[in-house]
Amino acid sequence: MYGWTGRCLRVNLTKNDFQLEEISQELMNKFLGGRGLGVKILYDEIDPTVDPLSPDNKLIFVSGPLVGTGAVTGASCNVITKSALSGTIACAKLRGHFGAELKYSGLDMIIVEGKAEFPVILSIMDDKIVIKPGLEYWGRTTSETENMFKSSLSDSWAARDTYLLSIGPAGEKLVPLANIMNDGFLSVGGAGIGAVMGSKNLKAIAVKGNHSVTIADGNRFVQVVTTLINKLNTAPLISQSVSSWGSAFLVGLCNQKGILPFKNFQSSSFDKSKHIGTEALSSAFSLRSRGCFACPIACIKKTDVNNSLFKGKGMAPTYMAIGALGLNCGITDLTNTGIANMICGEMGLDPVAAGGTIATAMELEEKGLLTKDSLKLDLRFGNGEDLIQALTLMATKKGYAKRIGQGAKALAEEYGHPELFMGVKSIPLVPFDPRSLQGMGLHFVTSNYGPHHLYAYTFFDEVLNIHEQLDPWTTEGKPEFVKRVQDITAVMDSLGLCNWPLMGLKFNNLVPMINSCLGTSYKAEDLFRVGERIWNLERLFNLRAGFGRKDDILPERFINEPIEDGPAKGQTSRADEMLNDYYNIRGWDEEGRPGSKFLKTLELESRDGKNKD
Amino acid sequence: MARIKIDHTKCTGCRLCEIACSLNHVGGVANPRRARIRVFREGSICFPTIAGPFVDAACTSKNDLIIGDQTYNMCLICRASCPEKPFFIEAETGFPLKCDFCGIPPSPSCVRWCNSGALELIED
Repeated sequence: MYGWTGRCLRVNLTKNDFQLEEISQELMNKFLGGRGLGVKILYDEIDPTVDPLSPDNKLIFVSGPLVGTGAVTGASCNVITKSALSGTIACAKLRGHFGAELKYSGLDMIIVEGKAEFPVILSIMDDKIVIKPGLEYWGRTTSETENMFKSSLSDSWAARDTYLLSIGPAGEKLVPLANIMNDGFLSVGGAGIGAVMGSKNLKAIAVKGNHSVTIADGNRFVQVVTTLINKLNTAPLISQSVSSWGSAFLVGLCNQKGILPFKNFQSSSFDKSKHIGTEALSSAFSLRSRGCFACPIACIKKTDVNNSLFKGKGMAPTYMAIGALGLNCGITDLTNTGIANMICGEMGLDPVAAGGTIATAMELEEKGLLTKDSLKLDLRFGNGEDLIQALTLMATKKGYAKRIGQGAKALAEEYGHPELFMGVKSIPLVPFDPRSLQGMGLHFVTSNYGPHHLYAYTFFDEVLNIHEQLDPWTTEGKPEFVKRVQDITAVMDSLGLCNWPLMGLKFNNLVPMINSCLGTSYKAEDLFRVGERIWNLERLFNLRAGFGRKDDILPERFINEPIEDGPAKGQTSRADEMLNDYYNIRGWDEEGRPGSKFLKTLELESRDGKNKD
Repeated sequence: MARIKIDHTKCTGCRLCEIACSLNHVGGVANPRRARIRVFREGSICFPTIAGPFVDAACTSKNDLIIGDQTYNMCLICRASCPEKPFFIEAETGFPLKCDFCGIPPSPSCVRWCNSGALELIED
C-alpha cells in the first residue's frame, strides 16, 4: 500500500476506549481517501437526521493519500461531520502540518464517537495513544492550549515535533459558528465543526510520530515533483501575487469587477480601494510567509512580530477575512480587520460565518429593526470596535450576544426579517457577490457544504481566466463548468492536495505525480469520476437529512435587487434559471435527486430510511 | 568549496527540504525523522538546520542568540546531534546521519526543492 498507511483510529469517548482498524483497499480505490473516505464513513455510520451536537454524531479527521509524501501542497487534512450550523454534511480543511504528522503517526484517519464525561485531550505520541483529562485546558484560547500542552511535555525537542489542533472557547460553548484551529492556522470552511468537537468534550488532538510514508516509484516521483515546483515558481500569478500577498491580492481585483460585497451585500463597489489593497496590507502588517506542509507557494501570511498589537500572533487577514469581517461589515480599516481575524483564531470562530452574522445584525440595526437594548450591543456598519466587542462576546456566549452567536439566519428570523440573511442552507455567503459571478452563484446554491468557494474554485476561470476565458456575467455553459470544477475540487480534497496550485498548473499536470506516488495508472477522467461519486454521495446524505431543491436557493436580494452601482451595475443572479440544467447534467431528477440507475453507474447505492448498523 | 547558505528570513517552514532529503537518501520513503536537514520553529521564525557532527555529550554551558529584539536558545541553530538534542539519528539503527551534499558534484536535493529562496548553494 503506497501513500496510504491503511490504518484508522476509532476513539469512543463515551467508553473512554479506542481501537485500531484496517481500511480496505477497495474503499481506498473507490473514494481515494481524505474527503471522499470521510464522507463514505459518515454516510455509512450515522443517521443523517441525527442532532449534530448529540453523542451519536461522529467527527472524522482524515488525511489524503498524498499528504506527507512531499507531493506539492499535499498537506490538507479534512474534518467531516454533520454541521451544527446548517444540519448538512460539513467538511473543513485543516492547513498547516497536522495532516502530515497524522500520516507520520501511522494513521490515515481518526473517527471520534460518543461524548466524554469531562473535557479530554486525545494524544497520539509515538504510537502511544492516550485519552488525557484536559480540565485545565477548558476555557483557554487556542494558542494558550497549544503552548500549555507543549510545555507540559518533558522533552522540549519532542514538543517541537508535536502538532496540535484545538477548539477555542467558542467551540466549548457550542456556538454553532465555531471552528477548529491548528498550529496557528484557522481551518477553513465547515463552520460548526468546532461546536461538534465541543459537544464531545474533546478539547484538542495532539499528534507526533516517526512512521514513514512509502511511495511507489520514488525516482519518478522526485522528478515529477521537481518539475511541478519549477512550474509553479515560473507561473506569474503564483510567483508575483499569491506568494507575496496570499489570497488578499484578490481584494483589489474583485473590487474592480464588482464582486466584492459591501455592507451585507447591499452594494458591490467600494471607491476607496486604496485602503484595502495590497499596498495597504503590506504597510498594516509587514508580511512574512508561512507555508503549509510541502507547499512551495506559501500563501499564508503572518502578522508582524514587532507590531505591538499582534506581536506575531495570528495570521494577517486573507481575502475571506478582509471581505467577511471587513468590507461586508462596512469596515475599511485593515488594522481592525486584522484584530478581528486574530480574535476569531484565538476564540476558534469561523471568520466567514461570524462576519456574515454580524453584517446581518448591523443591517438590522441600520434599518432600525433592532434596538440597542435588545442586544445590549452597538452594531453600526463601519465601526470596528463594535465588531471586535461583538466577536468576543459571541465566542464566550456572554450577555445578550449569545443570541447573535446562534448565527445569521436565526438572528434574522428572530427579528422577523429572514430576507436579510445572506446565505444558503443557514450558512452565510463567502464574500463573492453571486450577481456578478454567475457560476459561483450556481455553485453557492448547489454546494453540499453551503455557499463556500472552497468546494469549487470557479473564480480561477471566471475572474482570473487561468484555464479558460469565461465571462462572469453569462450563464451560458456555466452548469457544465460548475459541475466540472466541483468534481475536480472533490478529487483534490480527497487526495489531500490544496487547490491553489491549479492557479499555475492544469489538473493533468498533477496526474503523473498521483500515479507515481500511489502506484496507480489513473487517467484524469477516472479521477473526475471519483469526484462525481463523492459529490453524489454527499448529496445523498443531505437528501436523507431533509434537504432538497427547496434549499437550493439564493436569498431574494440577489434575484430581485440588481447591483446598484459600480462596474457590475444592473446584474442579478440567474442561478435559479440554471438549476434545472445543472440537475440534468448531474443526472438528477427535477427535485435534485439522483436516481438509483444513475447511482449504479457510479457504483453507489442509495439507502432509504434505516441505518445499516 | 560548496556551501549551503541558509536565510532564515525567507524560510516559510514548509519542510519540503526535509522530505526531499528523505526521498533522496532512502528510496521511496518520506519521513522527516530520516532527513539530514530539519526545520525548527521559534515563534514565527523558522530555522533550517543541516546535520553536523555527532557528539555523545551535551554542552556544559548555554548560549543565547539575539536576533532583532528577540532572544533565542542557541541550540536551535546548532548543527550537532547531542543527548540534549537527539536529532539526526536513524531511528532503527541508531546510526548518526550527516549531510553529504547529495553526492559529487554537489547538488543538494533540499536546495532543489526549496522555492522560498531560504536555501542556496554557493561556491567559494
